Amino acid sequence: MKRFDRGVVFSTILFFLIFSPWVMPSDVATAQAIKVGVIGPMNFMQGKGHWDGATLAAEEINAKGGLQVGNKKMKIELVKADSNEFISMTDATNAMERLMTQDKVNFVVGGFRSEAVLAMQDIAMDYKKLFLGCGAAHPEICDRVGKNYNRYKYWFRVTPMNSKYLVQVCLINLATVNGMLKKELGIEKGKVAIVAEKAMWIDPMIEAIKANVPKMGMELVGTWRPSDKATDVTAELTAVQRADAHIIFTIFSASVGITFARQAGELKIPAAFTGINVEAQKDGFWAATQGKGNYAVSMSTFVRGVSYNDLTDPFVEKYISRFGELPTYTAVTYDAIKSTLGEAIEEAGTIDTEKLIPIIEKAERVVVSAPKAKFDKTHDLVFGPGYATGITFQWQDGKMKGWWPNGWQGVTYKGMAPYKLPPWMIEKYKK
Amino acid sequence: MGILGFYLRKLYTVFKGEVLVLPSRIIVLLFVLVLLLLPLATQDPYLLRILILTSIFAIFAASWDLLSGFTGQMNFGHALFFGVGAYTAALLNLHAHLPPWGSVPLGGLAAVLTGLIIGIPCLRLKGTYLALTTLAFPIILMGIVFAFPDVTGGELGVSGLDRLSGSRVTDYYITVLLMLALSTIMWKITDSHTGIIFHAIREDEVAVRTAGINTTRYKLLAFSLSGFFAGISGGLYAHYMRIAGPANLEVSMSFTVVIWAIFGGVVTIYGPIGAVFILFPMLEFLRFWPEYRMLMFALVILLILLYMPDGFFPWMRNKIEKECPRCKIRNMATRKACRICTAQLD
Amino acid sequence: MILDIILSGLINGSVYALLAIGFSLIFGVARIVNIAHTAFYMLAAYCIYYGTQKLGVNPALCMLAAIIPVTLIGLISYRLFIDPIREHEGAVLIATIALAMAMQEVMLLIFSGDFLGVPHLIEGYRMVFGVKIAYQQLLTFAVALLVLAAVWALLLKTKIGLAIRSTAQDREVANLMGMNESRVAMITMGVSVGLAAFTGAVIAPLAIVNPFMWMHPLIMMMAVVVLGGLGSIKGSFVGAYILGFAESLVVFLLPMGAYLKGSVALSIMILVLLIRPEGLFGIAFEEER
Repeated sequence: MKRFDRGVVFSTILFFLIFSPWVMPSDVATAQAIKVGVIGPMNFMQGKGHWDGATLAAEEINAKGGLQVGNKKMKIELVKADSNEFISMTDATNAMERLMTQDKVNFVVGGFRSEAVLAMQDIAMDYKKLFLGCGAAHPEICDRVGKNYNRYKYWFRVTPMNSKYLVQVCLINLATVNGMLKKELGIEKGKVAIVAEKAMWIDPMIEAIKANVPKMGMELVGTWRPSDKATDVTAELTAVQRADAHIIFTIFSASVGITFARQAGELKIPAAFTGINVEAQKDGFWAATQGKGNYAVSMSTFVRGVSYNDLTDPFVEKYISRFGELPTYTAVTYDAIKSTLGEAIEEAGTIDTEKLIPIIEKAERVVVSAPKAKFDKTHDLVFGPGYATGITFQWQDGKMKGWWPNGWQGVTYKGMAPYKLPPWMIEKYKK
Repeated sequence: MGILGFYLRKLYTVFKGEVLVLPSRIIVLLFVLVLLLLPLATQDPYLLRILILTSIFAIFAASWDLLSGFTGQMNFGHALFFGVGAYTAALLNLHAHLPPWGSVPLGGLAAVLTGLIIGIPCLRLKGTYLALTTLAFPIILMGIVFAFPDVTGGELGVSGLDRLSGSRVTDYYITVLLMLALSTIMWKITDSHTGIIFHAIREDEVAVRTAGINTTRYKLLAFSLSGFFAGISGGLYAHYMRIAGPANLEVSMSFTVVIWAIFGGVVTIYGPIGAVFILFPMLEFLRFWPEYRMLMFALVILLILLYMPDGFFPWMRNKIEKECPRCKIRNMATRKACRICTAQLD
Repeated sequence: MILDIILSGLINGSVYALLAIGFSLIFGVARIVNIAHTAFYMLAAYCIYYGTQKLGVNPALCMLAAIIPVTLIGLISYRLFIDPIREHEGAVLIATIALAMAMQEVMLLIFSGDFLGVPHLIEGYRMVFGVKIAYQQLLTFAVALLVLAAVWALLLKTKIGLAIRSTAQDREVANLMGMNESRVAMITMGVSVGLAAFTGAVIAPLAIVNPFMWMHPLIMMMAVVVLGGLGSIKGSFVGAYILGFAESLVVFLLPMGAYLKGSVALSIMILVLLIRPEGLFGIAFEEER
């Protein structure tokens, strides 16, 4: 009888140990604090950016005693949620649900991977909580707001720009580089090669580029689509060089961007780079490419030395001195909490979501990530001169230098530098 | 009233004689009762979400056991069936507007077809060759998924699917009842004539062939059945998460189900199911240590394998039950004599 | 174009060959499917990263030095986790998967998920028949041949090699002949992990170092070994080059489909297995006959 008793007792204890956390009462938000959930892939740079940007914002607000909500002050309390979205979609949705039901947050900021954000968005909408996106660029996420306003109106995309605008900027950049080739090397008809990772969000971009390249007086010599985790693109690079491409248009968001930049630098491919290379936004890019990623081009929100307005530089400096690295666009949770939410709450005098939505929809805020931030009808970030544009930059000898917008539609940000061609290309083509 | 009383008393006798006699059966009964009655105690959506996902993955793990445990065809690409079921249900739901109770079974049938297609090349392969070949199939399918992004949605997957039902509690009951029903069906299959042949194929295929049984047919049957149940779980998953994406085909999904099943004990249907119910919530539970979560998980697996290499549940079962040397009937471990033949239990 | 394909194929193939030889060795002798093989390779890559970036040590020295800790870890984990359960093949499989996951998590904890790089042993490139090839890639090719020669010499010319081969052919009889079977397995494990570490030294500069870098090479490596035939070193070598060429063909002939190179390689493997279920040079073992 004893052994049986022990067995049953052991199994029962194990059973309850496993299930107890959920039947324990969950924390109730203290009346004086606003709970903001920060959800992102916390083991990776993107999630760290989410959390760090949010921390800076919360600290600044709390240093002033909190937000003025009506006639009392309420502090911001951040709740960290690891969505682990790169590894497991299940984890992401579980994390969001936990924020809603266990931690009972008032607002959520963050999200990165578009596939995961689509699923997390649904959950936040179920619970009617404001979800401010700081990372996913897919148009579908905001299209939903247009198609079903009453359900999805709690979503706003604070950053980055819709990928449709990315295409526009890319084409503008392509034209600029083409102009430079004509001027410096006398190349009349530039040959463009597209090297883009295989991903669905890139397909429409490639179509747009294919359609526009002939109109700009250039010739498309080929399109290569390596896998996003490819560790060797020398085959693609050899083929590109054989096709005598003058410009390589890159579209990378994953590790293949580092591989490409490094191998292109090592093999001294004589072509000018333009396009998108998300990994190039990070400080660690230079070391990851072992210094060979020179002349790589990409777009970013923050570049050292470039500022949109008076708020940008102090933010960037504070971030670098506190966290030791340049902020990436996911750190715009800072704007989401401080400006989009914070200023709206103080204006409305309440944290009631329904009252905040109309205020956020109409507001035009001065932020650190753009001269001014505004949302359009589908709660998407507005693109254009005076609003969010991003900065196109180039790695020059270990430093990121912004080179666009520089006289585009009257917009030039402080701290721009000119675009540079790789010396081995000048050597090859200079008559 | 007399008839009813008779049947009630008969039920009671059967209950006392068959179920209460063995601790493992009592545990199963308690488990089923707790699962079914849980929403009466708490309706916490987070808890229900965890249990719904656990039930779905339990069906998935049990289906792996049916193929790889019983029939001995080590399948390292089980995510293939899961993904096929998920994508089929998703596409049918989105384009043909089939409601979940239509699209999920059709997803299962699509997975059956897949099972037959991959079963044929696998007929001549054994052991590690089979394992590594099956590993390749989901990867190939993933390549195809990316090659036709207009149909499959590429890396974004197919989204905007209908829910399983209107409320969280109904979802819960649907998945739990389905899990219990399908597990019982799988259990019955393994207990039947077909099941015995599966056991035999695992032990010695050549002997089965010499006995005149068409092993090809039974192996394909195993692939199909396993595919069907896995496809159903894939369809349920797609409808619950409301999105079906390439994450359903990843290698880690295949590996995870193998880990669950072997942890719980192969060649039992209850092993993988129990394992999922222990490991999946445990993984969630370890959330308060976000950095160490997966590491703890891996270490737990390693330790379990060292001390219970046959699986956790068979080990547990052997601790609480004893087998009679004469009549081979299982008895409670505390008994001195067998309950049927009264032989001495050491 | 043909030249590009040939050269690219040779280089790809060499990378796979280096990984596959070690894996094939441990499988052939101890019948252990060591899923953690590429995880050891990842461990070596991180050791080199740590040595070159944080300690500033000379890369070549780092690469040689990295072999020692990785082999030690391999032997210890074998002793602790795999040796006790060697009889249960299924359990060994899971144990190696769990080991690989554990290593991945530890690396994630220490180094975070960011992408890192390791410097080349020899910088620069060279024009070979009009194609630009980095010196590191030429080195990979040379090393693959060297390693094959070394393993061949070990197996055929030394006493321990004889022990390994006989244990592979028939474990019980080898035991009867006075060879300590578990010690031979241990030595083979050490050699196999050492090879993985050495491979890390050669290939890591070409790859991106991150905690998940072990998954993709694992799949290709297993495809190579299955194609070549489990237990046959020669088979793995040949299989590696076949699949390497297949991948290059895809990239050059189908630039829009460059991402499909993995799928195509695996399909070729399946086709070959349909015709020849033991792989090209596979040896069926005594216990399985």
